[in-house]
Amino acid sequence: MMRRILTVVLPTAALLGVSSQASAQENQLTGPLAGAPAVRGLRLHRKQRFEIAPAISFTLLDEFQRHILLGGRLTYNVTDWLGLGVWGAFGAVKQTTGLSDRIQEANDQRFKQSDPNFSTGQASTGRTLVRANVGKDFKQQLGAINWIFAPQITAVPFRGKLSLFQKIFVDTDAYFFAGPAFVNLREREDCGGSTGVDCSARDGSGPDPGNVRPAATKGTQSRMAIAPTFGLGLNFYTGQWTSIGFEWRALLYSWNTGGFDTAGGGEGGRFPDAKIDKSDREFKFNQMITLSFGMQFPRTIKQSD
Amino acid sequence: MRKGYRMNQGRMGLLVAAALLAVPASASAQTPGKGAKPPAGADKKADDKKPEDAKPEDKPADSAAAPADAPPASDAPAAPDAGGGGICDLDPSQCPQVDFDAAAAKKIPAQMYAVQQLYALRVRRVEVNPYWSFTLNDQFVSHPAPGLAINYYVTNVLAVGVNGTWYRPFGSNLNQDSSFNAQTRRAARIGVPLTEYDWSAALNFTYVPVYGKFAGFGDFIFHYDAYIVGGLGMLSNRPIAVIDPDNRTFQSKGHLAFNAGLGLRIFFNRWFAAVGEVRNYVFRDELENTTIAPGKAAADKSTWYGDKPVTVNVQAQVGLAIFLPFSWEYRLPK
Repeated sequence: MMRRILTVVLPTAALLGVSSQASAQENQLTGPLAGAPAVRGLRLHRKQRFEIAPAISFTLLDEFQRHILLGGRLTYNVTDWLGLGVWGAFGAVKQTTGLSDRIQEANDQRFKQSDPNFSTGQASTGRTLVRANVGKDFKQQLGAINWIFAPQITAVPFRGKLSLFQKIFVDTDAYFFAGPAFVNLREREDCGGSTGVDCSARDGSGPDPGNVRPAATKGTQSRMAIAPTFGLGLNFYTGQWTSIGFEWRALLYSWNTGGFDTAGGGEGGRFPDAKIDKSDREFKFNQMITLSFGMQFPRTIKQSD
Repeated sequence: MRKGYRMNQGRMGLLVAAALLAVPASASAQTPGKGAKPPAGADKKADDKKPEDAKPEDKPADSAAAPADAPPASDAPAAPDAGGGGICDLDPSQCPQVDFDAAAAKKIPAQMYAVQQLYALRVRRVEVNPYWSFTLNDQFVSHPAPGLAINYYVTNVLAVGVNGTWYRPFGSNLNQDSSFNAQTRRAARIGVPLTEYDWSAALNFTYVPVYGKFAGFGDFIFHYDAYIVGGLGMLSNRPIAVIDPDNRTFQSKGHLAFNAGLGLRIFFNRWFAAVGEVRNYVFRDELENTTIAPGKAAADKSTWYGDKPVTVNVQAQVGLAIFLPFSWEYRLPK
């Protein structure tokens, strides 16, 4: 076993050890090119230009609901490698995941009085336990992104070009961005405890002596989460003033995506407490990918020495 | 014969290179747009001319002065006739009979590359690519794992190879059941069938249509390429008993799995690169049955399996690429 590990580790270490001597393009020149810039006549797609980029974003790894956000990015590039701007988007399309659909189906079945198991004690207990967490229309209680606004700094350390099939050549840059994001969320409203809102309120009015009615559709409330956002992207310049962009973005904040009572009680607050409040929010590494079409102004482009 | 062929190739290459040097403005990869400024260094170059490049009137007065015994300019020999030159005067039979207009109009089927001398040639090289993979689309169970890919480049853009990923190396289990599952089961009283992976292996074809280079911080240059990869193989997995863990214990089963993906490779030098890849593994999964058979039938294995959906496992693979042999010789001169 040890020998096997060594046979992997030692060659790898050796390879890494010699790699530092052979740099990307032998830029330790001593001839007439010594000290020359890496690139001459570079087209400055960004320097002192505004970029307006309509964009569409798709959230990733959603548990209960996927989002498609429409928006855009406005950036002023102070230099070719530094830009200041904002990105904003609103949740235009919200699509439930298979898990949400499954929960909805199971809940509908649970309260279907024609089901042969409906009258069993186990089914009755299930209905009682689930009412605090699942409303009649489950989709309505899911956490959702209303809109996001994020001022951000963009750094463009990498600039180059790519060849596609040796036929098409496109100027390209790779960039990083970071900033604070203001995320307007819709979540299940607080209930239980001192709120005066019954978490298990029945659908319809009046008592439910037979324990047969599902819970009412849960109410929601909006709030603002302030979260760090960062990511990286690629811009492919299709012309002097147009580009196509692709970027990945992370947003770090806590929210209650399913509208469930999951925490706040028991040891360490890791168990349900019959309340919906901020303790039920879970920290998420929210991710999305964005496609954009950029337009740079002024439309004329400068070139480096 | 092979050597002669190579010599011929080399001569052709020199001719093509000479032609390229003669017309650099029309053969540049990045043709300047209309009104593009000349390089700022152009004026400087003019100032830096070597003495031998300078025009006669620029020469110092003492060097421009003709020697006292020099013959008059009118005594200089006449320019030779166009076409033959001196050889035609000496031996007319050796005078070349070339129609220069026809020769200039003749089409030369030279193979011209838009980018000369790729930084890292891949043809006839083996790529060894150890990687670490992690799941991008399974919020219930993540499947991080080490893996290894080995590819042989038949041409500079096409490779055939194999890759394998080991999700339970050396008896460990890297599959991670998320706490989210337990929370959902408790809150909504619904069981979500979960699956853990054992290993996967595939035969793949790789195509590299994109390559390019980046200047980093305007200071150094590195090269990259992007590729598409696809193949066919097996993926072994098994359900995690969630619905009826008292009775059910599942054994791993292999499933036929197709895969397709995209990758990006960034070269640190001509044989060492970082690789990032997103790969979809598509297979027909077998999930745990969400209902439990009544009585003793619950122990019957035939009742344990339920749906057989097509599963798409989207996996990110991050690793290193080592190209062997480390060096090579270009076929054509730069």
